Amino acid sequence: MESRFTRIVVENSNTIVQMWIKEIDSLKEVNYTATISDSLYDSTNREFAEVIFTSIRNQGSTNAVEEFSGKIIKLGWPLSYITDGLQAFRRVTTDFILSQSEKVDTDYFSNVLSSVNHWIEPIIRQLVNDYTGSWENILSLQRVALQELSAPLIPVIDGITIMPLIGTIDTERAKLIMEGLLQGVIKHNSEVVLIDITGVPVVDTMVAHHLIQAAEAVRLIGAKCILVGIRPEIAQTIVKLGIDLSDFATKSSLKKGFTSALEITNRTIVDLESKEEKVEKLIHLLQGE
Amino acid sequence: MPIPILKLHNYLLISIQTEIDDQTAIEFQEDLLDKIHKTGASGVVIDLTSVDIIDSFIAKVLGDVVAMSDLMGAKVVLTGIQPAVAMTLIELGIHLQNILTALDLEQGLIKLHQELGV
Amino acid sequence: MTPQSFVTVYKEWDIVGARQIAREMAKELGFNVVDQARIATAVSELARNIYLYAKEGQIHYEVVETMNKKGLCVRAVDTGPGIKDISLVMQDGYSTSGGLGAGLPGVKRLMDEFDIQTKVGEGTTITTTKWVRL
Repeated sequence: MESRFTRIVVENSNTIVQMWIKEIDSLKEVNYTATISDSLYDSTNREFAEVIFTSIRNQGSTNAVEEFSGKIIKLGWPLSYITDGLQAFRRVTTDFILSQSEKVDTDYFSNVLSSVNHWIEPIIRQLVNDYTGSWENILSLQRVALQELSAPLIPVIDGITIMPLIGTIDTERAKLIMEGLLQGVIKHNSEVVLIDITGVPVVDTMVAHHLIQAAEAVRLIGAKCILVGIRPEIAQTIVKLGIDLSDFATKSSLKKGFTSALEITNRTIVDLESKEEKVEKLIHLLQGE
Repeated sequence: MPIPILKLHNYLLISIQTEIDDQTAIEFQEDLLDKIHKTGASGVVIDLTSVDIIDSFIAKVLGDVVAMSDLMGAKVVLTGIQPAVAMTLIELGIHLQNILTALDLEQGLIKLHQELGV
Repeated sequence: MTPQSFVTVYKEWDIVGARQIAREMAKELGFNVVDQARIATAVSELARNIYLYAKEGQIHYEVVETMNKKGLCVRAVDTGPGIKDISLVMQDGYSTSGGLGAGLPGVKRLMDEFDIQTKVGEGTTITTTKWVRL
């Protein structure tokens, strides 16, 4: 039975492809593929049809399908182009086979359906797999990228390191930040770490909890943590939420935090020559002339 | 194997190098207090660089030893606590409040120096 | 669930043995250093509970794998007195042994999944899993 259907379809492939392309074209208007140039759309459709027929002829060879999916993914076409296309092919082919047959009863009808499904399903499976595979790949790459920019640790001067935090902090990220922070303290041999939260949009109980934990862990390994960059609205929420940061050294700005870090490490900033002195010298020089 | 306790001027230096079981920890606590009593040491540095696990029991022994030494007039600084150990302790809910810490032995000695004001 | 290996805990030194195996397995599974410490510490706490309260029991280790992640499942089994009030032992700071009371809530925080089954007079089984972070 099935081989008979295969014969009908393969022998009339030209007609079927024409019907199919007509169907596909009508989809293009309402579809996401609207921006694609007609000629590219046409040639891809033809290639798609060729792939389907190769698969039918070889009874499920996937090499061609794989190649085609790779190309479509590279072009960035939506998955729905493929699923819609195959649905359309299913409709067109079923209609065509039925129109070629004289006697149609329920058995026959179900045979036709199952044959057509048998052709289409492996292709759908393969294409959807390839697509989701490429998505997952992108997702994991992005996750790695996100981790990389998660929390840089910047040693500014012997014994003092700054960690600027940017973006929302969730539990997963908080753990990464804490690990990075502690390892960085050891690596740079820092006595003081300034955690700058200017770039953190919201500090809720959870974020505060993680920050406190990080500060405690830093204390355990033998360094000191200063929280800087606390904006007025953050100070308000912290107090309103009843979060106790009293054990935590905090400063409103990085500048103030850095000054207090210098104090802790027994250092001060000395201007080598004050501005007034410079001006005086200059005047002196001019008078000498 | 008991944990060796070294004397340097009026400081005692301890580097814990092995996996500590409960018994060793308890013995160490006794040994250290004994040594503080005998030498009249005013400062102690316990270096934990090679310790890769501190559970609640060992943490308690360490916390106790610090409090006990303090009673006997010796300040204790814990040095070289590994990041992984610090994080695990915090997550366990053990904060070791009121304990002096330093990054390494050298910094620990400096800290003792500052604390004791000599 | 077929246990891959287990250790029996009835001496104090077994606590050290139990956590060393945990660390080795965690290392082999590709956990990072911090997670290795988390797992080893959690096992140490579980083994200590067995030693202190049940006198004897086992720690079972099992590598678990799902479609897209793998992890280490640790099960602490004893036939000791059981726990009368689970909500009480799961409170931070509660302890009957004079320890720091970090025990079970601490273990729960260190691991990803935590389950406790207990019956007074029959014993306690604690099953806890940590997944390798991708």
